This record gives sequence, C-alpha cells and structure tokens, in this order.
Amino acid sequence: MRISLNWLRKFVDIDILGIDPDEVARSLTMVGLAVELVEAVGRDTVLDLDITTNRPDCLNHLGVARELAARYRLKLRKPVTLPPPTDPGAAGRFPASIEIEAPADCPRYAGRVLTDVEIAESPDWLKGQLEAVGQRPINNVVDITNFILFELGQPLHAFDYQRLAEPRIVVRHARSGEGIRTLDGVVRTLDDTMLAICDAVEPVAVAGVMGGEESEISVDTRTILLESAFFNPASIRRTSKSLDLSTEASFRFERGADPEMPVQALNRACQMLQDIAGAKCATEVMDIYPGAFERRRLVLRHKRLVQVLGVDVDLADARDILQTLEFEPEPEGDTALSVNAPSFRSDIGVEDDLVEEVARHFGYDRIPSSYPRPFRAGLDSPTARHEQLIVDGMVQAGFSQAVNFSFSNVEREGMLLGKLPQGVRLANPLNDLETHLRTSLLSGLLDSVRRNLNFGVDDVRLFEMGTTYHPDTTAENGSTTEKPGLGFAALGRFYDPFWNVQGEELRFFHLKGLLDGVFAKLGFDFEYEPVDDVAFLHPGIAAAIMIEGRRVGLLGALHPRLQEEYKFSNRVFYGELDLEPIYSKPVPEPTFVSPGRFPSVARDISFILDKTVPYGRIVSLVQALKVSELRTFRLIDLYHGQSLPQDKISLTVRLTFEAPDRTLTQAEVAERCDVVVGSLKEQLGIVQR
Amino acid sequence: MAEQEFSHPLWDSFRQDLEAASDLDSLTEVRDKYLSRHRGLLALEMRNLGRLPAPERPRMGQLLNQLKDRVTEQLESRQAELKGALEQSRMTSERVDVTLPGYANPVGSVHPIHRLWREMADIFVRMGFEVVVGPEVETDYYSFEALNIPQGHPARDDQDTFYLDHDLLLRPHTSPVQIRTMEARRPPLRIVVPGRVYRRDSVDATHSPMFHQVEGLVVDEGITLGDLKGTLEAFFRELFHKEVEVRLRPSYFPFVEPGAEVDISCVFCGGSGCRVCKRSGWVEVLGAGMVHPRVFEMVGYDPERYTGFAWGMGIDRIALFKYQIDDIRLLFENDLRFLRQF
Repeated sequence: MRISLNWLRKFVDIDILGIDPDEVARSLTMVGLAVELVEAVGRDTVLDLDITTNRPDCLNHLGVARELAARYRLKLRKPVTLPPPTDPGAAGRFPASIEIEAPADCPRYAGRVLTDVEIAESPDWLKGQLEAVGQRPINNVVDITNFILFELGQPLHAFDYQRLAEPRIVVRHARSGEGIRTLDGVVRTLDDTMLAICDAVEPVAVAGVMGGEESEISVDTRTILLESAFFNPASIRRTSKSLDLSTEASFRFERGADPEMPVQALNRACQMLQDIAGAKCATEVMDIYPGAFERRRLVLRHKRLVQVLGVDVDLADARDILQTLEFEPEPEGDTALSVNAPSFRSDIGVEDDLVEEVARHFGYDRIPSSYPRPFRAGLDSPTARHEQLIVDGMVQAGFSQAVNFSFSNVEREGMLLGKLPQGVRLANPLNDLETHLRTSLLSGLLDSVRRNLNFGVDDVRLFEMGTTYHPDTTAENGSTTEKPGLGFAALGRFYDPFWNVQGEELRFFHLKGLLDGVFAKLGFDFEYEPVDDVAFLHPGIAAAIMIEGRRVGLLGALHPRLQEEYKFSNRVFYGELDLEPIYSKPVPEPTFVSPGRFPSVARDISFILDKTVPYGRIVSLVQALKVSELRTFRLIDLYHGQSLPQDKISLTVRLTFEAPDRTLTQAEVAERCDVVVGSLKEQLGIVQR
Repeated sequence: MAEQEFSHPLWDSFRQDLEAASDLDSLTEVRDKYLSRHRGLLALEMRNLGRLPAPERPRMGQLLNQLKDRVTEQLESRQAELKGALEQSRMTSERVDVTLPGYANPVGSVHPIHRLWREMADIFVRMGFEVVVGPEVETDYYSFEALNIPQGHPARDDQDTFYLDHDLLLRPHTSPVQIRTMEARRPPLRIVVPGRVYRRDSVDATHSPMFHQVEGLVVDEGITLGDLKGTLEAFFRELFHKEVEVRLRPSYFPFVEPGAEVDISCVFCGGSGCRVCKRSGWVEVLGAGMVHPRVFEMVGYDPERYTGFAWGMGIDRIALFKYQIDDIRLLFENDLRFLRQF
C-alpha cells in the first residue's frame, strides 16, 4: 500500500513535529503499520506500507493519518463531506431507484445520479496524486472514484446511466449461469452465491469486485449513476476467490470496509465531480440502509492493561489515544473506560483488542522486560536422547545428515519399491512431481546421492532422520500415521587411500558394523536375516534387521536395476530403520561387569563345515550352550577355495574365557572348548582341523 | 679421572682390541677375551700369580685387580657409547616428514537445521521449557478454528495451505500443538514445539514449501507482554553468545492479542547496519503475542485468571541468518560440499 506524505499532511500536521520522512516511517512501523520502503517522488515522499489483514481501515490515507495523529497525540483533520445540493435544472430528468434483494450480503447501498458530466483528462494535481500512489490516471470520473478509494478507503463505481436497461439498480444474487463481461474484457459466468449489481434485466457489475464493460464510462458519457456501498466481506471474498479476480475494491471489501462511509464518500465524490467535471447532481442521495450499523460497546479496565502489558499505563493517556482513534472513550468509574468501537474497526471485538490499541500508541518499546516466575525444571522430548545418540553415532561413522522434503512422487516411489505405495495424497500439490507424502526415505536419499555425484563428490554417506506418512484410519486424526525413521545411503570408500596406505571400498559388512556400533549405545543388538524379495535391494546382499524376531529395518546393496536407473557406477548401500521400536525403549543406563583381576585366556578353533550354514546359526548355538566363563566368541578367519571341497568353508573362531577369581587352567579351557566343538559337531557336522 | 696407564702387556693389547671393536657384537668378544671367568686373559694371569716369587705376588695381585677394574670400566663406557650411536642412527633412519597429511577418519556432519535446533532445545530446557511435539497432518480445527481463524477469515490467505481433503491439511505452523497441549493439561505451562511445517510456496532463494518452526507457549497467572520480551532477550543472548536487543513491533496474528512482530538487533553489525540486516540494524525473527482470550476460552482456560504468551519462530530463517547462508534451497539439497561445513 503506497501512502503519500503530502496527502497525509492534509489530515495531520506532520510539519509541527519537525521530523523527517524516515522518522515518520519508523513511527508508523512502531505502531504496527510496517513501512517497507521510503521513496522520494518529486516533491513528495511515498511510503510503502505492509498492512496486516486486520486493518483494512489503514488501506487509505485518512486511516494512516489517524494512526500517525494518535502516535503523536495530534488532532486528526477529517475532510468535510456535506452533500452538494441537487441542481434545480437537472432535478427530475434522470430518475433512478435502488432495491436490495439480498440485504445480508449488501447491508447498505447508496447512489446518486449526476449529469452534464464532461469526460476529460484530470487536472495535474489529481493525476499527480494518483501517480504518486502508483495509479494510472484514466479520465476525470474514474480518477475521482479512485481518489476517494485511496483517500477514504471507500470503493465507488460509476455506471453510464444511459446504458442501464432501466434506471433501476437491483442488488441481488446472480442467477446460475448469468454472465457478464467485466471491465477487463473477460466474460464471466456467475453463480447464485455471487452478489451482482443488476439493472432491470441483467448484471451490470460483480458487486464489490468489478464493473461490467457494457455500462462502462466512455468519452460519450454524460450522465452517471454513482454507487457507494457496503458489502458483506465473506460474500465478496467468496466471489473474488471463485472468479480468481482480485481488485482494489474487492481487496478492501473482503477485509471489511466502513459501513458508515458510503454516504460521506459519495458526497465528497459528487462535490469533486461538480468541481472538476462540471457535473450536476440530478437526484438526491439515495441511501438504502435497512439495518443501521451499531457500534460495539466495550469496557477497558486499567487492571487489564496492567495484567496483560506488565506496565502501569496511565488511564488518562489511554483515553487520549482512544480518543484520537475515534473510540469515543468515557470514564467508567475511576479505573475503566467505556468505548464505542468505530465503524471502520471491525477487528475490535474484545477488551484485549483495546489493550493492544493503547499498547501500540503507548509504545511497545516502552514496555520493560521481565521474566516469568519459574515453576519447574525444563524437560527435553522423550526421544531427544535417542535421536542425539543416533545422530552422533551416524556422524562419527562418517555420515552427514540430510533433510529432504516430505513430498513424494507416487510413481517414482512405486518404481523404487516395486509396487505403488499406499500414500497420503495432497488435494492441491504444488506440481505434478510432488503429489503425495513419502512412504519411504529411499527416494529422497537416492536423489541426494545422485546430486552429489553430479557435483563431483564421489564418496557419499548421507543419513536422514525423517518422518514417513502412511494412510491409517485408526490414527488419531483418522487419516495418517507419521512414522519416525532412519534412512542412510553410502557409496564409495570405507576409507580413502592415503599417500602411503591403500584405500578400501565400502562393503556390506562395513555398514553392518557401523550400524551395530551406533545402536549398541542404545542397548540394541540386532539380528540379521537374509531377504531376497525386497524390490530395491540386491537379492544376494540384503538383510532384514530384527529385534526379538520382529523386522524393524533393512540393509543391503542397491538392486542392480536401480544402480542402472540412477547411473550409479559404484555400488550404493542403503538401509532404513523404523525408529518407533527404538524410541519405545529407554536409553539404557550403563551397567558393568567387573573386568576381573585375572588374565583372560584365548583359544582358537578352526573347523570345516557346509557353506550353506549361516554363521548366525553357529553363534546362536554357542550362545544357547551358556558355557561358563566364556566371555567372547569372535570370527577371525573365513576361507573357501582351492584346498577345500566346493561346498565347504573353513572358519576360525577365537574364544576367550575369563573367571573373576582365578586364572583358568589349560585343562579348564580345553574342557570348555570341547563342549563347544562337541555341540557344533553334533548339530552342524563340523570337522575340526 | 686422570688417565691411568698400566705397564702391563695385557693393558696395551686390551687398548688395541677396544679401539678395534666397532659394534656391540665385537665388544662382547673383547669382553669375553679379557674378562671371561674361566678363559679370560685376566683370569689366566691371576691363576699364574702363584708362580711368581712370594715378595712380588702382592704387588702384582694388586696391579691385576686394578687392571680388571679399569678394563671393566672401559668396556662399559664403550658399550654405552656404541648403544647410543646405534639408537641415534636407528632414529635418524625412522625420521618422518611431519608435514605430510594425517590419515583422516571420515567424519560426517549434523544438518544445520538440526544443529541449530539442538542448541535451541538446550537453551529452552535450561530456561525451564518442556519440549513437546505434535502431528504434521492436522485438522482444520487445530490449525485454524481453535486459533481464532474461522472459515473465510482473511488470515487464511496469509498461508496458502496444502490440503489432503476439506478437513485435513499439512499444518502451516506449529501452533496446533499449543491447542493440543492446552486441551490435555492445566496451567502453568511452559512448552516449546519444534517441527516441520508446510506452506504452498514455490521454491526460490527465500521460500520453501517445507520448513521448520519452533513454537513457544507460556501460560500462568501474571504472565505479561514484558515477560515475552524478557524471555526472548534471554533466549537470543544465549543463542548468539552476546547481548542482543529485542524489539517488539505491533502486528497481527489472530491467536494473539496484543500481537507483535519481533526483531533482534543484527548480531553482525551490532545494529549499525550491514549487508546481512539490509542496512536496517534489525532482523525480523518471529511472530509473537499474548494468547488471545478466545483461544483460552476454546480450551477451557479462564482468561481472567490466566494470561500467556506464544511465539512462532522459523528455525530455517534463523539458520540462514546465523550461518549467513544466502539461499534457503541449500538446506534441502543435501550437497555434501555444503553439509560438511557444519
């Protein structure tokens, strides 16, 4: 909203303050009318204001002047708006009538007919004034209506009287399918929720939004019917939205115009038309206003001011402020004011609104800082510790944290996951590519890997702690379950080659080890089971991550099909984990087993067995034996090759034993190893080497 | 000690042998030659003492003992010398160029948004706030109605919202969690709510359809607008590790009254104006205000008894400011060249 300082000067004596335009801008900003730009335009200065939606009264110069006056406790000089008399020669020649058939959406409609209008260019001062606020001058009649809009905030509309079917204005809802060609040349089809200004036959304007081309003012216009009305904001808003048409008029009406302004504005316009365009008033003012506006009466207690602001504002100062803002304050006892909310302040509804009015002009910057009394210690979220351990663990493992949008493309996800996911669909997506909410972190992470490769980064380790979204009618909102998850993708080397040390390519077992390390800190010891039916993972290098027999995640190499799809020349590893089961278990406090004062004894056992036996089975068998004093069981060598039959492998495991009270003898250790070997022989048919 | 010379043929030959021993092995041979208990030349001489005439024996015995001590001493000193030289040459050969690069362990990085949120969370927890979270898919009621933004309210235009259907939407702010928390609990309350929020803005350098907010809410008897100011001052001082001025400007959010836009003095220029604050000295950081009495009524709190303040702060926006990132898109592209700087 552009505001001319010269225009403001007509209503408030800025010069008496001796402040420069920047100071005016600062003052307006500090009362809530944010000035975004101060610009010199000729001898004038124009301020660009960002007016919040609750203050349509400040979408004009009088409104802004009122705020400035209140800020400095100055008097506001309101323009005189007496109705010019009807011209005796013109009277009776151009009769007109107004009917409101939809009083809920049009509480007030005023109009007057003027004749002998000479359409011409506006005088320079008027053109200059409009240009300063960014309006293109058109002709004197249109310019005067625009001038009133920017001065008083009242949108006006001038109809060519001769082009109305009959001099009869009917304000009614459009009939479904009724059309009108609006001033912008577009033919618009109206429906029965839209308010229309009609002549005896058809719509001549979309009420409060835009006039029709048919009755537009032209160079030949001699007689006009000038409209000045008040419309229901919700109605104008609906119409403007459904026609996708926003104008200076609709912008004001939908936020709330002043129901007491139409006649004043009409009078001022008629006076200007008479002075500038030679017009003569041909009728009296017609003012259809069935239910007069009642100002809302409110009480402001001094006590409330102090309670909310925390500062003792003088009630007399509050009264001065509210007086200038036209709230007509009257003392109510010694400790309160009774006020009437002005007709142009539809935003004022409760006492605290008055508190804000006073605070704005008292000055937010004069409110001293204080602190709320403490009532207890702070508390982080129940999952904060888990999250931090996971993030720190992943970062130590060389992963950088990614953040991707929650949106997804359902076809893309379907391609990755092997079937179209049950996704949550957006009714109004931004574009065709982001139509759903993601059901997996895979797509975002693979795209991120691809992007990094494109940038020339060839060692990529990314993880994301993010939410996935799943349709769920049993969810609290009846729609969607939001699941916390961890996803990670890696490609490249486990560690870089150095100047005299070979590098090492990332392998499945690196990632498995990293993951185990991170989650050990959270008290988890994952089990892994082979899976070969995950569409995005290599069927031979893929594992389900299990907690107590329940699948909580996946880890593996990306499926060759996707390696190709993304043109990844190096193998990408990907894992994801449902964090709900992780979060549901508290982060364990450390418990310790005494490291003992006696040395441990290690013993290696080598044996040959069938290739098909998974190592995990050996581990669980040994665990089940519960061999006393067995502290660790570790694989230290795995071999298959020439010296062995095709279907066999050779393993070496190292067992360490430790007793709390003595050094175990060789015989004791041998005896325990025999138990292990015996069991493995019996269960798995191993042959000791 | 003055060099003591012996007029004895053994001494002369020992001196020659010692001179010739250039390493520890040959030194051991010399030691064996002279000092070996059985075959050593000195032991032999001792055994031969008996063949001497009796009057000469004591003098010669004494001489031989002195000779033995000297030989031992000389051998030890020579051994120490040789050991030192050996160690020296070994260390010289092991010398490295310490300016060669270290073997770096790949270490990742925490995303700037999460890094900043962790910092914020720590500060808020120290200030007595509880961290609370809520759903991203929300109902119209919690996102708008209960926040005093009824159907058709112009403020709904301020945030073009993503909808799932006529009632469900992606929350455009974290404020619904205020309502959920107030419905579930009684005052006093002091919560902060971090989370993802969504607005239907196309991506450009300053806009993103998804970003992060942290909501704050304090409700108790006697809470004032001054408390809001003081709380934010304390918070920003901690966040930027320096005195930061907080400026409240009247503004409008339907769920607060009075409402305020909050600026902080630019931490880079101290308020004198620079590129970061666009020469204004101030940086807009959040919207805030006193909880609207209608919001209290909707959750069943008595607005006469309780007052409260609330704010909504963009984590992304503060990250951009704090780390001087010039394009919000960098936060969501996951470019490792960017991420590794945090």
